[in-house]
Order: sequence, then C-alpha cells, then structure tokens
Amino acid sequence: MLTVSCPNCGAPVTFRSASLPNRVCDQCRSMLVRSDDGVGIAGVQAALPFDVSPIRMGTRGRFDGRAFEVIGRVRWRWTDGSWNEWLCLFGDGSHGWLGEAMGQFMMTHERALDTIDPAWRLKLTRDARVGDTVMLDGEEMTIADSREVLCIAAEGELPFTAPPGWRIHSTDLRSGSGRLANVQRDGSEVHFYDGRYVTLAELKPTNLRAIEGWKAPVYG
Amino acid sequence: MAEADTLSPPQAPAATAITCPSCGGTVAIRAAGHSVTVACEYCASILDVSEPAVKLVVEHHRRRAALDIPLGTRGTLKGVEWEVVGWMARSEGGAYPWEEYLLFNPYEGYRWLIYNRGGWSFGEQLTVVPGGGWGGLELDGAHYKHFFAEGTAQVDRVVGEFYWRVKQGDTVRTDDWVRPGYMLSREADDREISWSRSEWIDAKTVEAAFGIRTESGPWPPLPHQPSPHVAWLKQALVIAGIAALAIIAAAMFAGGSRTLAEQTLTIARDGNDQSATLGPITLRRPYQPVSVRAEVPSLSNGWVDLEYTLVDRATQRAFNTYKAAERYSGRDSDGDWSEGSRRTTADFASVPAGTYDLVVDYKGNNWLGAQSIGDWRNAAFAPEMRITVTSGGAPFGVALLALILIGVPVLFGAIRHAAFEQARMGESDFAPTSSEDDD
Repeated sequence: MLTVSCPNCGAPVTFRSASLPNRVCDQCRSMLVRSDDGVGIAGVQAALPFDVSPIRMGTRGRFDGRAFEVIGRVRWRWTDGSWNEWLCLFGDGSHGWLGEAMGQFMMTHERALDTIDPAWRLKLTRDARVGDTVMLDGEEMTIADSREVLCIAAEGELPFTAPPGWRIHSTDLRSGSGRLANVQRDGSEVHFYDGRYVTLAELKPTNLRAIEGWKAPVYG
Repeated sequence: MAEADTLSPPQAPAATAITCPSCGGTVAIRAAGHSVTVACEYCASILDVSEPAVKLVVEHHRRRAALDIPLGTRGTLKGVEWEVVGWMARSEGGAYPWEEYLLFNPYEGYRWLIYNRGGWSFGEQLTVVPGGGWGGLELDGAHYKHFFAEGTAQVDRVVGEFYWRVKQGDTVRTDDWVRPGYMLSREADDREISWSRSEWIDAKTVEAAFGIRTESGPWPPLPHQPSPHVAWLKQALVIAGIAALAIIAAAMFAGGSRTLAEQTLTIARDGNDQSATLGPITLRRPYQPVSVRAEVPSLSNGWVDLEYTLVDRATQRAFNTYKAAERYSGRDSDGDWSEGSRRTTADFASVPAGTYDLVVDYKGNNWLGAQSIGDWRNAAFAPEMRITVTSGGAPFGVALLALILIGVPVLFGAIRHAAFEQARMGESDFAPTSSEDDD
C-alpha cells in the first residue's frame, strides 16, 4: 500500500498492490504510473459515460469463497455496444475482472498462455474464426466473437494504463457449461483470461451503487 | 471512503434522455450503458445510441404505437421489480404474431415478458447450453421435449431501447422444447446461437403486476402451459383414494354389524294386529344406520306385514318404516316354483345417538288353501318371527354407490386433462398423431 499526492493536483492517491502500477486520480483524472522512481503522469483519462451499473468503486463481494473489492474499471466499446470490466482485488493480492455486459456478469482471471495446449494456442492468437471450436482443459469452447475493441475510459487502479482510444483485438470463447475465456491481443502482446458467468446473487455483493428509484437487493 | 459511502450512498440517476433526430421527441434511456438501439416511441425511427452522438439508422414517421403495457411501466414479478424498456412485435413470416416486452432492473439485468395468443411467459437468457440428445434436452436435471422445429421468427415492429442492434425484418431460426410450465428456446442467426428459458405465468399475475387487463387465455393452450387440471386431479386422486379405502375398510370392518337387540315373537294365527317392543337400544355414535331383520322360518305361501317405529326414549322422536316378508311356492307345468323370501330387512339410514325402543307392529297372513308342513291353520303350530336389530356399516350397495360417486369427478377431471394435453400437443411439430391437413 502506497499513498502519495497526485503529482498533477495534489489529491491523495493510493496504490494498493505492486502488481497494479496504474491509477487514475479520482480528482483530476490524471493517469498515474508508479515506478521505482516514484509516481509519474502518463496522460489524462476520459470521463466515463453515464451508465446504470450496480457496481462501483468499493463494491465488495465473494467469488468461490474468496473476498474481493472492486478497485478499478475499464469501459470498452465494440461495434454493437459497450461493456464494463471491473477490476477486483482479492485478499491474497491477486486480481480478477468482473465483466458486465448486457445485464450479465462474468468473472475471469488472467492465466498464462503457455498453460494452453500449443495446438490451440496459435488458433486463439492468430486464426480465431467465429464458430470454430477449441479444446480448453478438455472442455470444448466455441469462438463466439473475434474483433477489435476500443477503450473508452477507465477509473481507479489498473494493471495497465488503458488510454482512451486504445484499440486491441479481443476473442471471446464460450462453453455450454457457462465457462468463458477471452484472448486480448495488442500487437505481439497477448493476454489470456479464463472464467465463467456469475450472478450478482452468488457474489453476495455489498456497497452496491444506489440507483434512484430502484431498491438495491440485499444479499444475505 | 467506502464507509462514508455506505452511510449516505450517493444516488445515481436511473435514466437519461436523448432527443430523437427524426421527430425531435424527448426519448428516455432507462438502461444507459447497455442500450445500443432505440426505436423512438413517437415516430418509430431506429436510433443508434451506442456512442454519445445519437445517430439516425432508419427514419420512420409512424403513429405512436399503443402498447398494452407502456414503456416505463413497472411491475413486480417473482419478487423483483421490472421496468418495461422495450417492445417487439414478432411473427413467423407475418403469421402467428406475438409480442415481447423487454424488462430491465439495473441490479437484475434483463428479462422478457412474452405475450402470445392471450397467454404470458417470463423469459430469461441462458448462460449455459442445454445438453441432451434427439427429441429432448436436459437443463438443471429437467427434461424438455422438442415441440417446434426449424421455425423462423422475424421482427415486425420495435419500440423502446434494446441492448443489441435490432431492426425491423431481423430474422432468426428457432427451435423450442417444452416441459409443463417451461419452454427452452434456441434462436440462431449466421453469427450466434442464443438460448433462453421462459416460464409460463398466469394472466392474473401479469394483470396484477402491471395493472392491465388481458383477454381470455389461449386455446389451444401454449406449448408449455401446464394443464390446469393436474393439480386438481392429483388432489382428487389422493382424496378419492383415501375415501375409497375408508369406505372399503368401513364396509369390511364396521360392516360386521353389531347386534343391538334380538327377540323372537309369536305370530297369531288369526291374522290379528300385534305389537311388541324391543329395547332399550342404545346408539352411541352421533349418527348410524340401523337395520331391523325379520326372519320367519315357517313362512310359506303367506306374508307378514311389519311396521317398525324407533322411538327415542328421551325426546319421543320417532322413525318409521314399513316392510313385508312374503313367500310363495307351488308347482306348475315348469315344475316347482317359489318367490319372495322368508326374511326381510328394513334400514334406517341415519339415526342420531340416543336410547331407543323399537316398536314392532305386525300382522301375519296366510294363503288360504295352501298345504304345507308348517301350515298356520294347524292349531298345534305356533309360527314364530325372529327380529334382529343391528347397527354398523352401510350396506354393500351404499358403499358401491359411494365409490362410484367418488370416482365420477376423478374420471371427469382425467378426461378434461386428456383433452387439454391433446389440444396442447396438437400444436407441436412432433404431435404423436398427425392431422389430415398435412403440410
């Protein structure tokens, strides 16, 4: 945990994990980067467009028995809409992404690409075609989508800077069991995420965003 | 910081608004962040709201659609409040039209309220793919039967906001599987396959939730509409089974009737009126049947008139019944014949508890000219009559009648259930018996 003053506006900013070197200042939206030399400014983050997500910074919940807190968000857009990826910091310092799209939620964790059968790795990173199937740990996954996505805005703490206008290639995989995976490619850099659909009820979240005129559910 | 937020949570606004570039109307966006397409509720123009600058996709100048449940209406279904944010009229190439309302709750996501031929369903997008083989599918341990195959569904009209790019004329291939109360639907286009499950809901529930009135329910029933006769039939079968067992048990055990009084009376040979009193007869149950049996062993070609009166000693309330024992026999060209019986039983169906006397008024007659060993005219012969008073189970005939009466409504219910199921299955592409109009 490191708390410093924002080099741009002087507001206090906290870095909670060494593996999350990027942070958007809540006050002035400067993109800050933490390094051994201190905290520098890497640009300015865009304002997040209005949405009615029930999640917000500080929402807490449990996934597979492990407690997490939402500390960051990236909002992405593709040709047919936008979605949120909420960064969840777990008690052991690891992080996962709570995806929120079309009113549904999914939790994924980054996984080393070399844990995938090499036969399928190339397919996922070079030759992904919608409708093709890939075997992942013995489970058949179908490529549901493969296209360029655009970063609109971000907030909080992040493992990367996520500049607005950043374009990456994203490939989504789904299985019949509710499992999903995602491959994100930016030039030669490839990240692989593995997870499944979740419901808010199963995460038992607290500190949800209050939305005018709607009763927030209380999960016991 | 988080704690401070918990104490006074800042309320985020629920909706925002845009201006329709076609008609200038102010259009509410109720699922901001999710909505991609908006069909203007005033002019029906299709707008792209996926980016901050609203774009006109297709311009229309239509009259405002009058929805049964207007956009923005809220209703509680399954304990969750939902707001109507979109509406689509769909059909199979213009035939078999139905309507789908898109419901939204920011904490719960989206659901569908589907209106088809007067029936309602509540649908949800699935995040899993049902497993299974030919003819059926499995989901959450339940089996679904294939009902409709290779249909097409097109979008005829849209109003409101949607989380995907929707437009008039969009067509998907559809397949449906059902089990009572639920339907699994598969919709496929060239790009993706989506699965949803819808639950049949009672029209009254929808009417109460959204404050609307709907026409009478569909006939033939919806594919997944549960037979309304099943619950009743199950209950009726259980009740009828218990009742039947009780009647059979009563007939078997309680039917072994208890003797309350017995007496042998002498019948005067001169045919005079006679009277005798049997008692006390104590009846303990609140109500019980009482049988009086008269047996005249020596009766031959004669009869005995009997009048029974049960008199409650306490209240003098009386129950009356008449009987006759008669027996004739003889010989003709066909040989020996006989008719009638030497015994007769009178029944009081339901006598209240109390202490009674049974007054027997009787009169013996004989067939003059007849000859037999026990001829009453033989002065040395004293004909006797044995009176036995019993109480207990209903006579067998009553038990049988009761069983039939119990069975009739069950049978009636079963026939109605079968008719419902036949009408429901008749709509299926997999109907067991095909109708004449093969197409």
